[in-house]
Amino acid sequence: MAQQLPLQFEFRANQTFADFYSGSNQEIIDHLQHCVTGSGEAFIFVWGMPGQGKSHLLQACCHHAQKQELRSFYFDLASPSLPDPSLLSGLDECEVVCLDNIELISGNAAWELAFFNFFNQHRDQGHKLIVSASCSPGSLAIQLPDLKTRLNWGLALKLKMLSDDDRIAALIFKADQLGFEIAPQTGRFLLSHYHRNPQSLWTLLEKLNLASLAAKRKLTVPFLKTILEQDTHDA
Amino acid sequence: MSSIWDTCLTKLENDIASTEFSTWIRPLQALENKSEEKIKLLAPNRFVLDWVKEHYLAKIEATVHEFSNGQITLDLEIGSKKPAPLTVSSTKATEKKSNPNFLNRAFTFDNFVEGKSNQLAKAASIQVSENIGKAYNPLLIYGSSGLGKTHLMHAIGNAVLQRKPSATIVYLHSEKFVQDMVKALQQNSINSFKDYYRGVDVLLIDDIQFFAGKERSQEEFFHTFNTLLEKKHQVVLTCDKYPKEIVGLEDRLKSRFGWGLPVSIEPPDMETRAAILMKKAELAHIELPQEVAFFIARRIPSNVRDLEGALRRVIANAQFTGREITTEFTKEALHDLLSLQDKLVNIDNIQKTVAEYFKIRIADLSSKNRRQSITRPRQMAMCLARELTSHSFPEIGDAFGGRDHTTVMNACKRITELKEADFKVAEDYSNLLRTLSH
Repeated sequence: MAQQLPLQFEFRANQTFADFYSGSNQEIIDHLQHCVTGSGEAFIFVWGMPGQGKSHLLQACCHHAQKQELRSFYFDLASPSLPDPSLLSGLDECEVVCLDNIELISGNAAWELAFFNFFNQHRDQGHKLIVSASCSPGSLAIQLPDLKTRLNWGLALKLKMLSDDDRIAALIFKADQLGFEIAPQTGRFLLSHYHRNPQSLWTLLEKLNLASLAAKRKLTVPFLKTILEQDTHDA
Repeated sequence: MSSIWDTCLTKLENDIASTEFSTWIRPLQALENKSEEKIKLLAPNRFVLDWVKEHYLAKIEATVHEFSNGQITLDLEIGSKKPAPLTVSSTKATEKKSNPNFLNRAFTFDNFVEGKSNQLAKAASIQVSENIGKAYNPLLIYGSSGLGKTHLMHAIGNAVLQRKPSATIVYLHSEKFVQDMVKALQQNSINSFKDYYRGVDVLLIDDIQFFAGKERSQEEFFHTFNTLLEKKHQVVLTCDKYPKEIVGLEDRLKSRFGWGLPVSIEPPDMETRAAILMKKAELAHIELPQEVAFFIARRIPSNVRDLEGALRRVIANAQFTGREITTEFTKEALHDLLSLQDKLVNIDNIQKTVAEYFKIRIADLSSKNRRQSITRPRQMAMCLARELTSHSFPEIGDAFGGRDHTTVMNACKRITELKEADFKVAEDYSNLLRTLSH
């Protein structure tokens, strides 16, 4: 029988708080939500290893702000390259500003000064700032001392790495969002045989979903082995 | 009509990748104009405007067209729904009513913790607030970042305002002065700019070191400064160093800044740091035991902002977990922040650390050597790699001389069992874990 071709679609996980598997990071979500709604800190610094979900959380903050009819702005300083600092011009008017990968401005004098000025003006207006980095604020190689102390001023929250049990629960959670089921033993198999970085796992999940749709098969361990073998072969 | 934009947003959110939507579409504000059947989209700045025009305008127009049956046209420009920030050309009466002179009401003399390092600066600030334009003019407070200069500056403004509510007080960063001046020059309203800054009763300018190298701004500030002093209006300045040391600042400004009273703020001693923490906790209605305040003060010797950041973390964690703030709890809450540096843990540095710990060669860990003096460290390194990195069993096996993933699984199992049964193994593992993650 000819294999059924699945509908081609691009996976677009909604970057909202509801779509984030919190595991042991619920505290961070609480603080971010309170920050956006104005009942918490005015400045939060989220840090953690790549692939832990920092970008997701920052975009979720903007989504949350939109629901509160607040003007928000999200920018990933890593994509595609550091833009001109004029990006910050006028952003002090935005109630919620989220800047991803802030460590990338370290050592860039023009950016450090522009961000320092933005920080002061945005804060003077009582607006909320959320930044993310791969290291703690104290470890950033910021050269401008006035900016360095300001970055240490906020509430610094470290995203904890998910335990393997949490990763399995997260896989089940994400699969459910995609509309298919994944058994705990399948999740365990994936963690044993595949890179456990959450980002790699979510990408793999998309592939599995498509393969499962195409083959009209449940994601059993034997079927998984076939897909992974095929994947390795293709690569 | 705004509901049409909301509908469009929902559609666009589905059509455009999440990151792009958050960056470029979500910040756009829509202004409706029912009579003209038009939606005006406001971008926060030129950067966003140009990007949206180039990459998304066609899609947005098509979406608006679809949901309005072609009835509505679209405009895109820079702007904000909120009233525009006051410009120097605004009338004084309007400014008085709506512009709260950017003073932070939370910074007062009462909640400024005094110690040896800052008592002169505080005393001079109080003097100035009680005798504006007479005591010390200008008052220049200098010292490193994060020691309380801005706090004193706001406290002066707040104290003056309390004594004389009609006083015109302006607080701003030097960079804002520069920006306002540039804007005034562009808008041909430099006279309004001059009148505005030269007419205030108290001018508080933070971080004057940022005037360095900006000759036109220094020129304008020089005249503003002279006019205010002639009128016996008060000028208060802060700087991160003694002005004579600023490279790129005109000599005449350096000289004038020294006319009044320059006072320095030094980093607070440990007792003052602990007192600052206790005060900040009290303001947040949190009971902070003295030993905890001293614990944090000992660990963070640098500046007040760093202290505040640490205290924020402790309070936030206590509020979330509902746990009592003790020294032990504080150690846990600040564990990540107090680490001298955040090491990037990867298989390479796990192998290096384990080899050094057991005094073997790194190459031994990937070799076929089956002596216990080598296999045990190898198993431990594999187990640590599993615990501290995101690598899979096969990837870890590859990094240890191309071993099979089942070897790694067995190593992890073996070390877990040995940690329970053999105190020495448990201790070695714990030492390595601490070295790698601290």
